[in-house]
Amino acid sequence: MATRKKVLLKVIILGDSGVGKTSLMNQYVNKKFSNQYKATIGADFLTKEVIVDDRIVTMQIWDTAGQERFQSLGVAFYRGADCCVLVFDVTAPNTFKSLDSWRDEFLIQASPREPENFPFVLLGNKVDLEPRAISSKRAQQWCQSKNGIPYFETSAKEALNVEQAFQSIARNALTQQNQTVDLYNEFPDQIKLTNTTNRNSNGDSCAC
Amino acid sequence: MSEQTVNFSLKYQQLLRDLKNTVEGLLVGQVVNVFIYGGLNRLHIAIEKIFKHGCKAISEDDTSDYWQFIQGLEWLQPSSTKSSLTLDSEYDPHMPQHIKSDRASIWLYHSLETYSLSQKLSWLLTDKAHLQSCYQEQAFLCQEKYAESVLICLRAVERNQPGLMSEIDPCLFLSKTNIKEYHKSHRRCSSFPDNHFKNTGDFYGSFRSKTLHKLDLNCEKASKEIDNTKSSPKIITNKRIHGKLKPWSSLPNLAVGVSTIRERSKSVAHSRTTPSTPVLSKYPKNNLFSTATFPIPLKTNIKKCRKTSSNIRKRVKHVVINNNDIIEHTPPLNHLVYNSSALNDELVNLSIKSLPETKSPIRKTNLSRSAPDYSFLTALSGEKDYKRKPKKTFIEDGGMSILPMATGYFPRPTKGQTLTAFLTSSQFARTNAELDRENAHFSISEAMISAIEQIRCKRDFKMVDEQVEESDEEIMDLKQRIRLRRRQKLEEKQRKIWSASLLSDGKTDTTTTEASVSPYSTSPGTPSESISSDEVEDINIDEASNLTDHRGMSMSMASLYSEADLFKRQRGAPDGASDILSAEGVALSLISRFNEKQLPRASDLEWLVSEEDAPQALLPMPKSWPVSPDDPVDELSITPLRGTKEWAPPRPQIIFTPHPRPERKKLMEKQNYRCAGCSMRVAPQYASKFRYCDYLGRYFCTGCHTNQLALIPGRVLQKWDFTRYPVSNFSYRLLEQMYVDPLFRIFELNKNIIKRSKNLEVCRKYRLGLYYLKDFILSCRFAETIRECLENENSYILTDPDVYSMQDLINVRSGEMKSRLKYLVELCCRHAAECELCQARGFICEICLGDEVIFPWQLRKVARCYKCGSCFHSRCWNSKESPCVRCQRIDRRKEDRWSSYEE
Repeated sequence: MATRKKVLLKVIILGDSGVGKTSLMNQYVNKKFSNQYKATIGADFLTKEVIVDDRIVTMQIWDTAGQERFQSLGVAFYRGADCCVLVFDVTAPNTFKSLDSWRDEFLIQASPREPENFPFVLLGNKVDLEPRAISSKRAQQWCQSKNGIPYFETSAKEALNVEQAFQSIARNALTQQNQTVDLYNEFPDQIKLTNTTNRNSNGDSCAC
Repeated sequence: MSEQTVNFSLKYQQLLRDLKNTVEGLLVGQVVNVFIYGGLNRLHIAIEKIFKHGCKAISEDDTSDYWQFIQGLEWLQPSSTKSSLTLDSEYDPHMPQHIKSDRASIWLYHSLETYSLSQKLSWLLTDKAHLQSCYQEQAFLCQEKYAESVLICLRAVERNQPGLMSEIDPCLFLSKTNIKEYHKSHRRCSSFPDNHFKNTGDFYGSFRSKTLHKLDLNCEKASKEIDNTKSSPKIITNKRIHGKLKPWSSLPNLAVGVSTIRERSKSVAHSRTTPSTPVLSKYPKNNLFSTATFPIPLKTNIKKCRKTSSNIRKRVKHVVINNNDIIEHTPPLNHLVYNSSALNDELVNLSIKSLPETKSPIRKTNLSRSAPDYSFLTALSGEKDYKRKPKKTFIEDGGMSILPMATGYFPRPTKGQTLTAFLTSSQFARTNAELDRENAHFSISEAMISAIEQIRCKRDFKMVDEQVEESDEEIMDLKQRIRLRRRQKLEEKQRKIWSASLLSDGKTDTTTTEASVSPYSTSPGTPSESISSDEVEDINIDEASNLTDHRGMSMSMASLYSEADLFKRQRGAPDGASDILSAEGVALSLISRFNEKQLPRASDLEWLVSEEDAPQALLPMPKSWPVSPDDPVDELSITPLRGTKEWAPPRPQIIFTPHPRPERKKLMEKQNYRCAGCSMRVAPQYASKFRYCDYLGRYFCTGCHTNQLALIPGRVLQKWDFTRYPVSNFSYRLLEQMYVDPLFRIFELNKNIIKRSKNLEVCRKYRLGLYYLKDFILSCRFAETIRECLENENSYILTDPDVYSMQDLINVRSGEMKSRLKYLVELCCRHAAECELCQARGFICEICLGDEVIFPWQLRKVARCYKCGSCFHSRCWNSKESPCVRCQRIDRRKEDRWSSYEE
């Protein structure tokens, strides 16, 4: 089965500009943090190998630009995502309010098979900063309303909860992928008799 | 530098100066026959001295015999010498007695008289071997630059054009130390025909004259053939031409392109008068000739040659030499006939400087047949080389650096600037208006007076403490030079006395330049003076005192022509004639008589009325001005803000539309019979002399409008007309400054322009494609090399797809733009198709949600929302029919957010 194969997990980080998407990714992948702000142009990715449930998986983390209105670049990379990370700034209420639109946009553009069950993870970043505008409770409530999204309060600057959050993201992504693979596997099994080799290559291209 | 070389260069300078002064004296009267009043004799003496200097052969009476040198013509140019070498001394009854015995002298005299010496001398000078065999190394004629100056002088006499004298290299008159400085500021490409024959070894020796003769005959034959075939292009094959393009050389070079003569094929000699431009030298091909055109002066057309011998009409035919094939090409007949001086003029015109203004039909033929090799010619014929960066582009300063003609402008010296540097500074080139030039006379004469006063004051002061100066090294040096000069002068004087009786032709006094004696420096009574401080002083103004010695016009005018002309080129003034007498030119000639050290700094001059006291420049146009509400709004009472009621200086405008056909009378009336550039008034009967500026649509005087040709944006934009039209100097500079600026939203300015050119249509698509592609490529970390390619382009090419500069439009028309953009677009597209990151940044059509990744530059199948940037299949979404779904979502969310705020 495909489970023993090297797995690539595609994770998309979304959220308003300045909430700390790039910082979170950098903290997680490079263990580095910079106070300097530099707007991300378009989208770019970093990869990191992680062990999830005794399995080595490669996480491809897509960092995106937060500005919403005009995008000269497209978001074709949403397609095939295994998990979507929504980030807001706990000190900036507007970034929390736009979470809905980010989620909507993602579901429309990525058009996953089961939009209801697609794994999201919510990160409330910058918990090291005062004053807080969005309470932990309010964020939790929002998560509940969206089919129980996992919520983490992080600080990219202090490296607080970052590792745990991404562990959870990876696990969620993996479950999602296994489901998809299973889904795919159901069909190839039926065709298996007629074309074995074709199925294998299909499985490969799906996994990565 | 040894004393000897100093000695020699002093001698050269003296010889040249003598000649120059004589020539200037001859020409200053502007009479038809320059040799009237014994001028021929004086010129003959000056020239003979030059011919004798350093001559190896010594004749019986101990003078140099340059006959041997002259004889070189026999084989260098057999046809022309035949008559002159066998000249009968009795030919000329009024020839002075003393030269009747000397055949060389007679020859010289005769050549001068027939205005043919410059040509003959140039032939003689080209053969270096011959030259060296007759003259010593240090001989005057062996000094290329001096020899060239002699040629210039001779030409000036032959054509009666004092302006030509300005082509003499000013460095020749300077002491060595100053030369570098002047080289920097003054270098023009001179314009002598580069008659370049090359001898192949076999024919070098005794065969040479024969061969040449034969070749000449062949040329004649060829010309006859051309006559027969009229202007039909003719191809002669089997010719092998030996030679190479010679880089620019100011001396006319004669060499023979001798083909290896085969029995069955006629040989053709090519006296290649290549346009001697430096540009040409950039394009030499390694093998033989690249395709190039050379006017070939053919044998004299005897029937037509009924004029004086100087007015020899020559036939010029153009030959395209393409490696082994020769295509002969005869331009229409009326352009074929030149008299010899006109021919030379034509060649002179080929120098880059004057080319933009000339409209020779010949050059047009060149262009029409031009292969890519001819790109340099394109640059020459009116299309200025805009590639050299102008100081500021139009966009940067809005054309404000381009001043209208008359601005009341007088340049201010910068701190520490020397007087000479100030007067020669390019700033004076800006004052082109007659009015400003007139006014400059006042300012400059004030400066001169004050400078000379200061010198005098200093001198008086110096005389008091001379003792201190004595030890000065420079003074010692000067003294040394005085001694040398005196010795020379004494020698000359003696020689002069020796031949004084012979010199006089009875019509003029014997004031020849070398005979003049400065009362300060060499007084006849004191041959060996002790060096007094007086004389140290005197040598500094030695030159100035010369000025008084040479009585009458000849010397003072000579000074004007000489120094003034030397600096003339920097001014870039339209016509040279007025320039010689320009205020700064006269001033320069005055102060050139003084030692630079003595002159006060330009910035130290005291002005009677300083610029601060009375600013002369036009006031800038105010952005706004107060208007009292009580004032009646009456057009008559409006105070003109610029200029007067009759005239205002032109403004740096961008004009997008062509002007209607000008009606001179109407327009001149509208302009109040004033030049639009400088407000100079013209009488209605002379209004026809004014020139129309196609850009500003106004008439200009000939000072403000020198028939420079330029592309007219309005004509390009409205009619796709790339013809160059004559424009005023102001417009020319303005258009030149605009040339590279992206100023034209061409599709807004003319909706139909796209129909004018297929290339434009394609370019527009590519520009739009690149506009989308650049977002991807410039932010893609896998596209480093392509990014560099894009960054080489002007930024507006990528960021503003509808904007064009004049240069772009030329490139669009030529197709260069198309191929360049095509290359870039293909490069970028290929990358985007293969790059993981660029693919990830593509779009997915929200309407059909298909798997295909689409990109905005897929213009045919993709439609893009200009608001949010989303891309859809054009079959899925039409921007005119339905709103963009994403925009709708974004707007809905915004409304929700506002309503939630209100709650």
